Amino acid sequence: MFLAWKEIKQNKLRFALVTAVLLLVSYLVFFLSGLASGLAGLNREAVDKWQADGIYLTDEADKSLTQSMMEADLADKVEADETAVLAQTNVIADNGDVKSGVSLFGIRPDEFIMPEPTEGDKFSEALEVVASDSLKEEGFSIGDELDLSGSDVTLTITGFTDEARFNAAPVLYMNLDDFKKVRPGAAAQSAGREEQPEMVNVIIVRGGQPDNVPKDLEYMESETFIENLPGYTEQNLTLTFMIYFLFAISAAVVAIFLYVLTVQKISMFGVMKAQGISSAYLSRSVIAQTFILAVIGVLIGFGLTVLTGQFLPAAVPVSFDYGMMAIYGAVLIVVAILGALVSVWTIVKIDPLEAISG
Amino acid sequence: MTEHVLQMEDVTKTFGSGRTEVRALKKTSLNVSRGEVIAIIGPSGSGKSTLLTIAGGLQGPTGGEVQIAGERITELSEKDRSKVRLEHVGFILQSSNLVPFLTVSDQLKLLDKVKKGNMSKEEREGLLEELGITKLTNKYPNDLSGGERQRVAIAKALYSNPSLLLADEPTASLDSDRAFEVMKLLKSAAVKKHAATIVVTHDTRLTDYVDKVYKMVDGVLHLEADKGGAEPLENGRTDFLEKGGNDDGV
Repeated sequence: MFLAWKEIKQNKLRFALVTAVLLLVSYLVFFLSGLASGLAGLNREAVDKWQADGIYLTDEADKSLTQSMMEADLADKVEADETAVLAQTNVIADNGDVKSGVSLFGIRPDEFIMPEPTEGDKFSEALEVVASDSLKEEGFSIGDELDLSGSDVTLTITGFTDEARFNAAPVLYMNLDDFKKVRPGAAAQSAGREEQPEMVNVIIVRGGQPDNVPKDLEYMESETFIENLPGYTEQNLTLTFMIYFLFAISAAVVAIFLYVLTVQKISMFGVMKAQGISSAYLSRSVIAQTFILAVIGVLIGFGLTVLTGQFLPAAVPVSFDYGMMAIYGAVLIVVAILGALVSVWTIVKIDPLEAISG
Repeated sequence: MTEHVLQMEDVTKTFGSGRTEVRALKKTSLNVSRGEVIAIIGPSGSGKSTLLTIAGGLQGPTGGEVQIAGERITELSEKDRSKVRLEHVGFILQSSNLVPFLTVSDQLKLLDKVKKGNMSKEEREGLLEELGITKLTNKYPNDLSGGERQRVAIAKALYSNPSLLLADEPTASLDSDRAFEVMKLLKSAAVKKHAATIVVTHDTRLTDYVDKVYKMVDGVLHLEADKGGAEPLENGRTDFLEKGGNDDGV
């Protein structure tokens, strides 16, 4: 540490450059990770909020919520501590000023996926909805009457709730009893037969053993369900791939930078080795230097990322998962040290004889 | 322990093989005792640097045996030889062997980090005083003149209390006055610290300051002059050195 720190202090510029590179890379990594978790949130927020263990869909739906359609009574047949049925459809909601694509959830108010409003009240009267608070930023407010595409029904917003986005669309929660009036094409169907069974898309469960899955149904854990949301896995993999690539880039940049610095010091290291200072000591010094620079770079990068996050418009889907960022930061430091190993190898190979007789 | 700090017996060094074979060193024996200062002179390419690097354990000989402070370094691995160098050998090189980003006092502190048994604070003060560099302790090598740098290099080499001090053209980058001054300091400091000292140089004027002068020609070492007739005494010092040390200490 002694040698490492003295050298950094004496050669501020060149080490500031290495730190700057690490800073920029870590800034990008942190930002991408924020973007990844933000975009993931867009897709899965509502599902996470259920705190469910698993989901039953129909077998034939192939893990797609929209393609799954079953009778609500099946909820009594699945083995679980708690069940909740969900009917879902995508519609365009129009309050007169703004239009927004929303995901309409038909639920039973006494079941566990019923959201707690963060503002306003729960839905109680017919055709009332609790909306995702992300709609508030788009220009919707409590009391708004929403015309829906594909039906003549008008919904009224009675409250907002947080963490209510599903597959990138804000969610409107409404009573399942009213939902069939809204489902596109549902009006025509119900005109034909008065007493048709109540239809839902999926049954969401907490607890219980999914050993006896009712016929024609398929059980999957919440995480599996999320991974099969349209586009979710592809999006995540893309961003994760970019982050991993940045790790490789920072390793390479640090390796090259330190290698050049080390090559410049070969004769100095040679003289020191001639004097009997071990390669291990000199290598530790280079590693310590890299560690110091990487920690400084990553910390500043972290600070900048958080600062930038404060000034971003709400439309940018960034949410910082600090646990994940800490892991990425640690990985960056480790990767930088791996890059420094090239220099360690160079130091080990230096022949003190050449330094002396050169 | 042996009375000689450095013992080289029938040492040879050959580079290459077959038609490109170069015999840099032909059967050479050399013993140096504590407090003894010898010079090896000779034209460049005569093998004197090879001899010095073998004496310092920087490379192994092709044949023969080398002992530093009783350790047969010819049988040691590079790692162990590195340890022997750290414990017993001090190097002073042609140009400065200082670390550019350390102040004079940090150069010495670095040695404290890697090795125990260096000089005490008082001894260090005394050494810096003697070399006239007490006021330079907070300066970086770049802020020093060539002569000052070599004096710091001497301090650095002696700081670890080496039994063997090897100087390769220590005055090459200096003008005559500075060269004499550095040589004088080198000798008095080495004698005071009881180090066996070998100075390799092509500057014959510097031989005024040494006990024995060897000449190296084409890989063969001859004793050129033995000024003190210096036979080592029981305590490892010599009459001449007692005298010479006092003269130089003034």
